[in-house]
Amino acid sequence: MGEIVTDAAIMAALGRQMTKAVQKQAVAAGNLANLDTPGYRAQEVSFADALEGQLATPALVATDSNHFGVAAGVPERGQTGDAPGLAARRDGNNVQLDKELLSLGRAGGEFSAAQAVLSAKFRLVRYAINEGR
Amino acid sequence: MSTLLSAMNASASALDVQRARMEVAVSNMANADSTRGADGQPYRRREVVLESVPGEPSAQFRGLVASGVRVAAVVEDQADFRRRFEPSHPDADAEGFVAVPNVDVPEEMVDMLGAARAYQANLTAITLIRDTIQRALELAR
Repeated sequence: MGEIVTDAAIMAALGRQMTKAVQKQAVAAGNLANLDTPGYRAQEVSFADALEGQLATPALVATDSNHFGVAAGVPERGQTGDAPGLAARRDGNNVQLDKELLSLGRAGGEFSAAQAVLSAKFRLVRYAINEGR
Repeated sequence: MSTLLSAMNASASALDVQRARMEVAVSNMANADSTRGADGQPYRRREVVLESVPGEPSAQFRGLVASGVRVAAVVEDQADFRRRFEPSHPDADAEGFVAVPNVDVPEEMVDMLGAARAYQANLTAITLIRDTIQRALELAR
């Protein structure tokens, strides 16, 4: 059976991307806030946990061919863990300013990209609602 | 959204803390030669102790929280006062030495630079988060 990509699935995916970006920004902001806290370990959204969270979620099943497309993996779950492989300073803190700022900026870009596509989708929907006017 | 706001709060707490660090460094430098304090002793160098504050765990993002930071304490540096030979000084001891504060001005300068940098970084973070919120609001247009 051919996979049909529905609007709902696309929008859910975009929503997930935005949520992920927000999570990354929040974690980077927390790290930056603790730039000078002795003993603080830089946190990051761990990919493995995030993936597991997505896979472990029981996806809804379309039991009828008339059902609308079901968005897979609903709740977004991000877990944070110590970021590996960072050199710690003498006070035990291993936050790296450039890395965190980069992560903030990149997450902002990802969010913007998803937002642009999502608002294009919304425009289409509005166009349809207004009967093309 | 609330995650973004909590992230912004974390950055704001850092701005607060860095400003406190700056104030303490400035106070240390201002008093680098104060040989008499309220207790009659020379001024003692002060230091800010920072502490990470775990944010409120959110139900939606299990375990994901932006941790803020706060000033845990301002402690006095217990290092010995430095001694300067200045027999004419009113606070000089019998041997002609004056106890001067244990403040090292270059060290304070470095500390202040660090605080200014960290302040800047957190301000940038706030700007970026604000942009993200702005983008999210644009969806509603």
